Amino acid sequence: MSQTTSSTYISRPRPGETTWLWLIKIVSGPLLLVVLVLHFTVNHYLGSLSSGLMTYDDIIRYFQNPIIPAIEILFLITVVTHSLIGLRGIVLDMNPSRQVLRAVTWLLSLLGVASVIYGIWLALTIASKGA
Amino acid sequence: MDNTQNKPSARKFLTWFNPIGRQTGSWAFILNRITALGLTFYLFLHLIILGRLAQGPDAYDSFLLLTENPFIKLGELAVVAAAILHGLNGIRIVLTSFGVGVTRQKQLFYGFMAIAAVTILFFATRMYVG
Repeated sequence: MSQTTSSTYISRPRPGETTWLWLIKIVSGPLLLVVLVLHFTVNHYLGSLSSGLMTYDDIIRYFQNPIIPAIEILFLITVVTHSLIGLRGIVLDMNPSRQVLRAVTWLLSLLGVASVIYGIWLALTIASKGA
Repeated sequence: MDNTQNKPSARKFLTWFNPIGRQTGSWAFILNRITALGLTFYLFLHLIILGRLAQGPDAYDSFLLLTENPFIKLGELAVVAAAILHGLNGIRIVLTSFGVGVTRQKQLFYGFMAIAAVTILFFATRMYVG
C-alpha cells in the first residue's frame, strides 16, 4: 500500500515491487486471517490451562494428528512470506537506492528461508516427541 | 517532473508518526504499517519462544506461568488487537484492490474499525475478567 491521501486510493504494485510479490501479499492476507483464527482458537482457547493455553502435553498430543504439522507448516510459510513481503514494502516507502533494495531483498529472503527451515524442524521435532 | 519525491529518505518513515493534517486514508495507511511492524516483530519472537518445546516439558510449561503476569497479558492483548486491526484493515485493502467499495473506502474503514473495536473489547474482557 503506498501513500494515501486520496479517498479513492487503490493498492497496486509499486516501482520495485513486482506484480507477483504484490499479488502474493494481497492473496495471502485473507488466507492468513482464516488460518490465524483457527490457530488462535485452538492454541489459546482449547488448552487445558485455565487461561485456555495449551500445555506441553496438549501440544504433543495435538501434533500426533499428521494433518496438524502440515497445516502449521503451511501457516508458517504463508505468514513469513506475507510479513517479509510487507516489510520490504515498508522499506520501499523510503525510496531506497537499487543497491540497498537488493541487499534488503537478499537479507529478507535469507531470514524467510531460515525461519521456515527452523519452523519445519520444530514442527517435526514436536510431532516426533509423541511417537 | 519533481524528482525530489523519489530520493531515498528515512524521513518519510518518520512522517507516519506526524498526526497533523491527516485524512482517513492516511490514518488507515499508518495503522496498517505500524501494526505490520509490531506483528512481524512478534512473529519472530513467537518462533523463538516456541523453540522451548524442543527442550522438553519443564522448559515450556515454566514459560507458560509467565503468561499469568498482567504485563505479559497486556502484551498478548496488544498482539491480538494488532492482528485484528491489521486483518480487518487488510480486508478493506483487498476488497478495494479488486474494485469492491473503491468509492466507499472511508465508510469501509470506519465499519471495519467498529468491528475491530468490539472484537478487541471481547478479547480484553475474556482475558481480564474471564
